[in-house]
Amino acid sequence: MVIHPKKMNNLKIAGFLTLAIIITIAGFMIFGQEKEVDFSTQIKPILNKNCISCHGGVKKSGGFSVLFEEEAFANTQSGHPAIIPGDPNGSEMIRRLTSNDPEVRMPYERTPLSPEEIDLLKTWIKQGAKWGEHWAYDPVQAPETITQKTSAGFSPDNNPTSTNTIDFYVGQKLEEHELAFSKEEQPLKLLRRAALDITGLPPTAELVDQFTSQEISYEQAVDKLLSAPTFGEKWATWWLDLARYADTKGYERDVSRTMWPYRDYVIRAFNDDKPFDEFTIEQLAGDLLPNPTEDQLAATAFHRNTMNNDEGGTNDEEFRVAAVLDRVGTTYEVWQSTTMACVQCHSHPYDPIRHEEFYESAAFFNNSRDEDTHDEEPRLRFYSPEEKSEIESVLSWVKENESSKAATERKNFLTYLEPKYPSHNAVDFDNAELIDTKWLGIQANGSAYLRKVDTRGSDQMLMYYGSGLDGSKMTIRNGGPTGEILAEFPINKTKGDITRAIPLKPVTGLIDLYLEVENTRVTSDQNAAKFVWFAFVPSLAGKDKPGFKDVQNTWETALNFRGTRLPILIENPSYMARETHVFERGNWMTLGEKVNPETPKILNNWNPEWPSNRLGFAYWLMDKENPLTSRTLVNRVWDQLFGRGIVSSLEDMGTQSDPPSHPELLDYLAWKTMNDYDWSMKSLIREIVTSATYRQSSALSAELFKLDPQNKWYARGPRFRLNAEQVRDQALAVSGLLSDKMYGPGVKPHQPEGIWQTVYNGESWNESMGEDAHRRGIYTFLKRTSPYPSFISFDAASREVCLSRRIVTNTPLQALVTLNDPVYLEAAYYLAEDMVKQDADKPEKGIAYGYEKLVLNPITEVKLETLSTLYEEALAEYKSDPESLVAFFDIKDKSTNPEQAAMSVVANALLNMDEFLTKP
Amino acid sequence: MQSLDRMLAEFAKQKLEKQTRRHFLMDCVAKVGGLAMAPLMFGCGTGTSAGSTGLNLSQRDLNPLSPLPPPYGAKAKSIIYLHMAGAPSQLELFDYKPELAKYHNQPAPQSLLEGKKFAFIRGTPNLLGPQANFSQHGESGAWISDFMPHFQKLADEVSFLKAVHTDQFNHGPAQLLMQTGSARLGRPSIGSWVTYGLGTENQNLPGFVVLTSGGKTPDAGKSVWGSGFLPSVYQGVQCRSKGDPVLYLDDPVGMSRNLKKNVIDAINTVNKEEFDAYGDPEILARINQYEMAYRMQIEVPEVMNINDEPKAVHELYGTNPGTESFANNCLLARKLVEKGVRFVQLYDWGWDTHGTDHDGSIDMGLRNKCREMDRPVSALLLDLKQRGMLEDTLVVWGGEFGRTPMQENREGKTQSFLGRDHHGDAFTMWMAGGGIKPGVTYGRTDDFGFSGIEDKVSVHDIHATILHLMGFDHEEFTYEFQGRPFRLTDVEGELINKILA
Repeated sequence: MVIHPKKMNNLKIAGFLTLAIIITIAGFMIFGQEKEVDFSTQIKPILNKNCISCHGGVKKSGGFSVLFEEEAFANTQSGHPAIIPGDPNGSEMIRRLTSNDPEVRMPYERTPLSPEEIDLLKTWIKQGAKWGEHWAYDPVQAPETITQKTSAGFSPDNNPTSTNTIDFYVGQKLEEHELAFSKEEQPLKLLRRAALDITGLPPTAELVDQFTSQEISYEQAVDKLLSAPTFGEKWATWWLDLARYADTKGYERDVSRTMWPYRDYVIRAFNDDKPFDEFTIEQLAGDLLPNPTEDQLAATAFHRNTMNNDEGGTNDEEFRVAAVLDRVGTTYEVWQSTTMACVQCHSHPYDPIRHEEFYESAAFFNNSRDEDTHDEEPRLRFYSPEEKSEIESVLSWVKENESSKAATERKNFLTYLEPKYPSHNAVDFDNAELIDTKWLGIQANGSAYLRKVDTRGSDQMLMYYGSGLDGSKMTIRNGGPTGEILAEFPINKTKGDITRAIPLKPVTGLIDLYLEVENTRVTSDQNAAKFVWFAFVPSLAGKDKPGFKDVQNTWETALNFRGTRLPILIENPSYMARETHVFERGNWMTLGEKVNPETPKILNNWNPEWPSNRLGFAYWLMDKENPLTSRTLVNRVWDQLFGRGIVSSLEDMGTQSDPPSHPELLDYLAWKTMNDYDWSMKSLIREIVTSATYRQSSALSAELFKLDPQNKWYARGPRFRLNAEQVRDQALAVSGLLSDKMYGPGVKPHQPEGIWQTVYNGESWNESMGEDAHRRGIYTFLKRTSPYPSFISFDAASREVCLSRRIVTNTPLQALVTLNDPVYLEAAYYLAEDMVKQDADKPEKGIAYGYEKLVLNPITEVKLETLSTLYEEALAEYKSDPESLVAFFDIKDKSTNPEQAAMSVVANALLNMDEFLTKP
Repeated sequence: MQSLDRMLAEFAKQKLEKQTRRHFLMDCVAKVGGLAMAPLMFGCGTGTSAGSTGLNLSQRDLNPLSPLPPPYGAKAKSIIYLHMAGAPSQLELFDYKPELAKYHNQPAPQSLLEGKKFAFIRGTPNLLGPQANFSQHGESGAWISDFMPHFQKLADEVSFLKAVHTDQFNHGPAQLLMQTGSARLGRPSIGSWVTYGLGTENQNLPGFVVLTSGGKTPDAGKSVWGSGFLPSVYQGVQCRSKGDPVLYLDDPVGMSRNLKKNVIDAINTVNKEEFDAYGDPEILARINQYEMAYRMQIEVPEVMNINDEPKAVHELYGTNPGTESFANNCLLARKLVEKGVRFVQLYDWGWDTHGTDHDGSIDMGLRNKCREMDRPVSALLLDLKQRGMLEDTLVVWGGEFGRTPMQENREGKTQSFLGRDHHGDAFTMWMAGGGIKPGVTYGRTDDFGFSGIEDKVSVHDIHATILHLMGFDHEEFTYEFQGRPFRLTDVEGELINKILA
């Protein structure tokens, strides 16, 4: 690495200088003596740093706020505005900033502003105090076409230029900071870097061969990596952190849930290079698309990854609301790099988003059917192909005997059992209760109400319930104890919970159902039945036609489906719609004014053609005028590859965020991804990893470290420790243990005894056997309150909330994992087997082979000597102490010999090398 | 006899090994002596010191747990936090309510219940008089029940907070609020904040240790010692009584200590070579990490082993080596703090006395549970005092909320055992040691012990006070996340001045 050798084209410098001079002169000419002050880059930062904590969203000291334009120019408590455009000397703000009286001078009791800052503010006011918005709220503009080649110092054909636009923008900044590109990384190290970044795994032996023999170019290797199925597994891991995907519900009992079909959807989406707009729309509103496919419904599980509280004594509505608010906050963090959590309680202290606007956004998300019920309904039912074709026969029957609309409704009901009324909505109990605050229980001779129910005039009610008692009679009345009887039927013991169809007298409109149970034989306060839900689905038509019985049977069988079911979002029908109110100070019990679904004013406009629901909201997010979606996406993808975002605060692009290190680059990539790549994530990744910037050597000198410790300007390639899943996957891959099986329920590879000790939860970690013990980390079962311990040591997320970046830490506990976790010893054993095979008489050969296999680089003399010494020491010990040899192999259930044991020790050391645990 | 000999021999060997290792490391330190990076130690003979790398690195770049001075004067160096998970009844332990006894079995007055929500109580429950006998103790005259006979003698050592309140009445959220300052998941725990701010004194042990007893982890799971948005290096490390005391601490079977030392030396030599080629300071941090891991492997089992404690100590605490018990954990807490661990968090599960069964009954189950707690807690305070450690060790005791003065009537039904429902309006906690004025009773509840009527204290107030004693201003101690500064105390918290020494 050479610090900028000033070999820059002199002409170019001259050009820049000339241009700068012209601009300066022009500035003087146009504005008299001053250039126009820019609000967002020059004024807003001063206000944010010095004023906004007292004169912002929460506090408006003296009735003055600099958060919104109209507030800044409004009358303050004194009755006058603090800023008078055009008149700096008449503006109270300037007087306060410059006063000598400590009681008057602002910032109060803090360091005064610098004379330069005050001058800027004065000039700004003088020029008319023009308000502007933060850069991130301006739509992405088409970038200028860069035809100029960048002097990147290297390229495959030895032509020292690059046409990649990324390199142009990075090169510009390097020049500004008197830095220069490093030379290209060694080819195989670069291949390993790209493979780890694209697939999460080291390159396959085949790819290494093709690349080494120059059968394929680097670009072709990248294409092969991008089309490997392992690509989806790697990038899904990133997305699942944002989606807060886990295999348990969270909170106290934290029991398992079936979410893995959503994880599989994400992997497939990445592998199919599903455009990001489609990917977004499906996840936020797949259920609202016309005739949604199974995949589009499964995608909506994105927002069912919210936690679900089963703890006894908790109110389902409280946690339903908590889930809705989480969905709002998560959506804004994932797509907009915007902190909405602040706005939940008050207007944003820094960003121009108001308190009501949070709830206007919440109104989009507040109308899904899920209600924090124990069973996590609604759930998408994954019928087998045979079951699907049987169901098809029911649907065509309905189409024939009723209408296609009726057929669609019935299809929907069989797909996700909605609409239905969960029993926890029952109220006004008399000898009835909510069992464990979850399900309605009515005792013998008890009653309860289910209020504001729309039976849609149905002649039939479906009821999911269970009973341990014989001889009860249940009556359902309209309105109350003396109301018209709508249904009357016996209840006897059931085998567990069952779905039962009950004839109902058709009624229309919203009514209160009075549910009453009698049982003359029982006197105790035992529950006569536990009810889970009620639904109003008409009986099948065509009862007198031949074949009806079969159709009826198929319908009933399908209703009782017990297979894989995935929690999804389903919108409320209009008659079940909820109103959304502002929560005063964020408290869900204190309702403020009613709000309608709307998006924040500061962002792109709403197109009236969009539906006013989640689907419209998703369209709004993916609209090319939305300033944050594309910037957020490219910033995070960039971070995945470089370990740092172009805006380094990945979770926030608001006014308090770090300014982008390369603003033009950010916008260029954002524009290109939207317009040229049509949101293809593979194309975006390809463009970045084929840039010269990415391909640089990551070697670092003390001098360079001093100039750019964080590699903010990219004068070297990215080098950082692999993430939790990669650390394990890589060890399994190089030892040949890694299973390439994809998809399916989470697996439970070995973890130490006694990790799972959750209260009121009888589940246990049943260790997976066979290849399931060696699946990729993304398939490891993730329990929120007790995640896989070795992953947590390596900074994996516990996925309770959305996480934009994992902070990479360095702790001795990580060393203990890779030194002592049995899976790494197993990997060491198998790797050693391969090493011993090389040349039984010359262990150095095996060691050199093993080293090269791991890092794709020949071993140095010092390293070989060090590791050979380790081998000899280990060999001597195992030869002299056969007992420990036996013990060592005991866990392997493998043949014993001192050479294999000693080589396993060496392999154990190899698997712990920094260069192995790190992306080169 | 033979086995004893073998144990003794093994013991001598281990001692020697450790000494040799220490010497080896000391040697290295001597060689790089005078440099800013003393804790960074390469295998000897590599001939390079960090000083010659020319990198300007702080201690924290190499080791994020290296100690930092507190921003303000600290009263305590370390904390032992005893959390009784499930929430013990203040009405049977410390908050004496003779009036409540008078109204035993009477329906609770409507004025008490109006506008209140309970986890399980429905309709109108009956009042439940205290099920323990109370008396006053020490010069301070603090009320302590006969469920805590040993602790009665320590009345003058602690400061009672009688009117603590929380807005959470379910275990999971309430434990999160108590330990992380927020009822929702995702915030750092007190211990994470403290180790983030101060690091830890002993690099051979984790800085934030968690010990659990009662057979279960707390209801909110490991999140109560999670690091939330702080780097994961600041999360609590659970040390266990069964299996490896720290996960993956034990060497693989059949790999001797000596061989492990060689393995680590080889790894570090290889890494040193890599550093020379790549110059990335992360590699130095990795080298340091492996040295620390090696030393941790020696020191953690040593400190976690209570077998060799004198008989008098076992008798004092009522410990029983080889099992997982609250008594063992109290003794371990003292040992860990003595060795320079910053924050020791104990969770004892099984205090949720609803009266749904014998173990969960207020009169029998709770008495037994107190028996398991009374002696070791008292022993811990005594032991710390005798060793002169109580002065700079802050001890905090409490649950996540309190319990109702009413008999629980789960879903309106009569229960077969005496029990109390969750209750957040008023409950008792106590603090002792570093910076706490002893013998104070602060706060008062009404005649039924239902609500605080004087000197109420919120969860955030407790956090503000803990941080103050550790040398922080809770309003200034922040961490940037999702675009805004976060605090343990959010936007609340007042110092509890009256209990400060």
